[in-house]
Amino acid sequence: MDKGAREALGRRILALAGTGEHEAVVTSGDDGLTRFAHNAIHQNVARSDASVQLRTIVDGRSGVAAGNAFDDAGLRDVVERAAALSALAPRDDVRLAKSPPASPSTSAFVASSASASPAERARDAGEIFGVVEGGGLWAAGYVRATRSGTTVANSLGTLASFDATECGVNVKANGDDSTGYAERYVNDFSLLAAREQAAIAAQKTLASCTPRAVEPGDWTVILEPPAFGEIVAYLTDHFSAQAYDEGSSFLSDGLGRTVTSTNFSLTDDWSNALAPGMPFDYEGTPKERVALIERGVAKAFVTDAYWARKLGRQNTGHALPAPNAAGPQVLDAVVSPGTKTTAQLIAETARGLLVSRLWYVRTVDQRRTIVTGMTRDGTFLIENGKIAGGVRNMRFNQSILAALGACEMSSERARTGGYSYSMVVPAAKFERFTFTSTTDF
Amino acid sequence: MNNRPSFEAHALRALDTARARGAAYAEIRFEEGRSERIEVRNGSVVSLSDSGSSGFGIRAMVDGAWGFAASDDASDGGLDLAAARAVEIAKAGAAGGRGMRTAVPTAAHVGSYETPVERDPATVPLGDRVAHLLAVERELHATPRISVGRAWIDLWRTDKLFFNTNGSKISQRLYQTGSGISALAVGDRDAQDRTFPGDVGLYQSGGWEIVEAARLADNAARIGEEADRLLDAPQCPAGEMDVILGGSQVSLQIHESCGHAAELDRIMGWEANFSGTSFLDPKLLGTLRYGSDKVSIVIDNLIPRGLATIAYDDEGTKSVRSDIVRDGLLVGFEMSRETAQAIGRESNACVRAQTWGHVPMIRMCNLNLLPGDVPFDALFDGIKEGVYMESNRSWSIDDHRLNFQFGCEIGWEIRNGKRGRLLKNPTYAGVTPQFWNSCDAVADERSWVAWGTPNCGKGEPMQTGRTAQCASPARFRKVRVGVGYDG
Repeated sequence: MDKGAREALGRRILALAGTGEHEAVVTSGDDGLTRFAHNAIHQNVARSDASVQLRTIVDGRSGVAAGNAFDDAGLRDVVERAAALSALAPRDDVRLAKSPPASPSTSAFVASSASASPAERARDAGEIFGVVEGGGLWAAGYVRATRSGTTVANSLGTLASFDATECGVNVKANGDDSTGYAERYVNDFSLLAAREQAAIAAQKTLASCTPRAVEPGDWTVILEPPAFGEIVAYLTDHFSAQAYDEGSSFLSDGLGRTVTSTNFSLTDDWSNALAPGMPFDYEGTPKERVALIERGVAKAFVTDAYWARKLGRQNTGHALPAPNAAGPQVLDAVVSPGTKTTAQLIAETARGLLVSRLWYVRTVDQRRTIVTGMTRDGTFLIENGKIAGGVRNMRFNQSILAALGACEMSSERARTGGYSYSMVVPAAKFERFTFTSTTDF
Repeated sequence: MNNRPSFEAHALRALDTARARGAAYAEIRFEEGRSERIEVRNGSVVSLSDSGSSGFGIRAMVDGAWGFAASDDASDGGLDLAAARAVEIAKAGAAGGRGMRTAVPTAAHVGSYETPVERDPATVPLGDRVAHLLAVERELHATPRISVGRAWIDLWRTDKLFFNTNGSKISQRLYQTGSGISALAVGDRDAQDRTFPGDVGLYQSGGWEIVEAARLADNAARIGEEADRLLDAPQCPAGEMDVILGGSQVSLQIHESCGHAAELDRIMGWEANFSGTSFLDPKLLGTLRYGSDKVSIVIDNLIPRGLATIAYDDEGTKSVRSDIVRDGLLVGFEMSRETAQAIGRESNACVRAQTWGHVPMIRMCNLNLLPGDVPFDALFDGIKEGVYMESNRSWSIDDHRLNFQFGCEIGWEIRNGKRGRLLKNPTYAGVTPQFWNSCDAVADERSWVAWGTPNCGKGEPMQTGRTAQCASPARFRKVRVGVGYDG
């Protein structure tokens, strides 16, 4: 479903809803993913879907209904359900606003990528197999091409649409006793460079074979972008106005405090060229670029219409789709780069660990930003500025803010992502990172 | 899906199209899902939603390779397009010998199933449901330090129709229900959560009776008070000591360190790049001492109230009960049709898809630790120094499912067989087989609960599965406690 069709659908359901305050969010998507293991494709899928969601607000009472049947009967059903729910909701300070147009996003949608075929994905997978087989390895991973669209329209005249193509390649190369990982996320399928990612993953696997055990404890650590992204993802929810107000965020102790080293700056910026995001939120409000931490100082949190009103702040345009119990959220995190390359950061490390990827990171203590997790798919010992071989994986327990208290960022940045985030980060070096146990692999 | 004959005609059309395009086998699954959520937060109804989604997914096999296509367009044109697309995708996978080869399925089942429901949630007026949650949430604010109170209800209804080229015709209607409460207490640079029941609420198959069974109103004030008291409680000590885990934490322990470890697709490397692999191997069947003789874990997808209870899985296999760990010995895995074939077994119907738009994959479904033979209170007997922990707060395990670390919301000191003072931030860590071998007692059926997990993540594209791990509290000896706070 293209922009025109989504906007027409949004107008239709608003018309059916009639007088009153209504907000329609129309989403559409085509998702194609080819997944492989043991150098063979084992899962190959495509999915097309669209849905419409209607929020009806009557005198501060709101209800939300959604469906994916777009004939008149299907849309009327959504309208009636939203109205019925809003009639029963308690009154709250919920209102719609007419939002100005958001800046257009020009680089998120690449027309040729919208039609990437299963054969093209299989071709890339085949290239990956060829590379890793050359090293006597096997690959697991995926090649993905998706197209998605979002339209927000409300009865006050707000209308905003965004289309994107997102493509990804994810390669884990597997050897007898070691693994290596590489990834690349782009909007243009032709820039995936699957072969290059396979070569990086294979090189990591071969370089980390026969891993040695090292003692847990405090280490100097360099996290490559996929690993550092996992850590930053556990910091971003602290920057929600709701978490700030309710006391679950470290920011609840006050803005304007120094919380990390001056080497760390974090921004929410939908316009970053490496990961162009949606320029408006799910209420149609244009997204502000928000400096969250600036040279170590906690500067701001993000808001939506409800929380901006509640806290007397500007609406920064960070609403999630209604109904939203999580409050406004950072969705386009960008960490500022440093001045040295990752190679230089390694060269300046007398003894430390280089980590390619983390796994199963979870919060241990929210207010103290303590997280735990495991290393995986390429963990290396650094000795005297050089990679000295692979090490067995380890578990860490670490306060994120404490680690960022003595850190240095690399000058090269990459787009990384997990199932709940997409962001732009450099590699990060930490003076002290605490590992608490090890594994046999 | 009231008009089932019409769906059958749609199905036959799509399957014919797939065959005509070259598929040796094809199956189609129509689904219509309906989900209602009500959530109250600090006196406001922050979620009052009713969502529906319907569509279908087709799996087609060409030269032993699978293709899957899903669409919300069930018109004749949409069906033909999706069927052709599934075949095209299968062919792309098969081309050049790069697709995995699977034998053509031969089974056919005709049947139907509907979750037994004592009280249809639709008969409970929406206003009453909202009022119930508002009243319960108010009770959570037992002290001024409760910053956030939450109460919620989820109601899910799913209709599934399954057809394949072997003649299967399966119709199923599932009702799944969940509800819970939580309180967040905030003090001086500290925040403490309490959730009830368990760590996500009580999620089971059934109707409004599941909300009633959760007994939110009876426990809300206590949960608020506990969150508040945790702010002033001493830190859980660090060291090696005996541990009793509450039933919902045992459920999570099963989920993470047995359920995922015993998924045969993971064991075969299919999840290697994301969810990971497993320390298990088919060669270990019948030889690995997974746990002590107190530990018996079964797949039972027919058990009443299990969140994953269903008569047929999403590739049309009839549900069975099968052993995974029998008296401590590893004897089985969670299997699909093709992974079972690969090790010379038959599927135990552990395949699910999140929605019509998702490809079916192996899930742990209902994976239950069988109850033991001692009353809950007897678990405390003989513990000189230990901690009793309840309600998960943090969970992490490595990508081979060996090295884990879990944290709970609340703990109680155990001294000389007695439960003592409250402890905050309890955590424990271990390695899967050693930990299960340290289990020397499981509480009996009186404290056995069908704990559901409504949010299990696996696969790419990521799918959220609804699983259950029925469990009662259990005792573990010489466990590493206090990890993460001991530095």
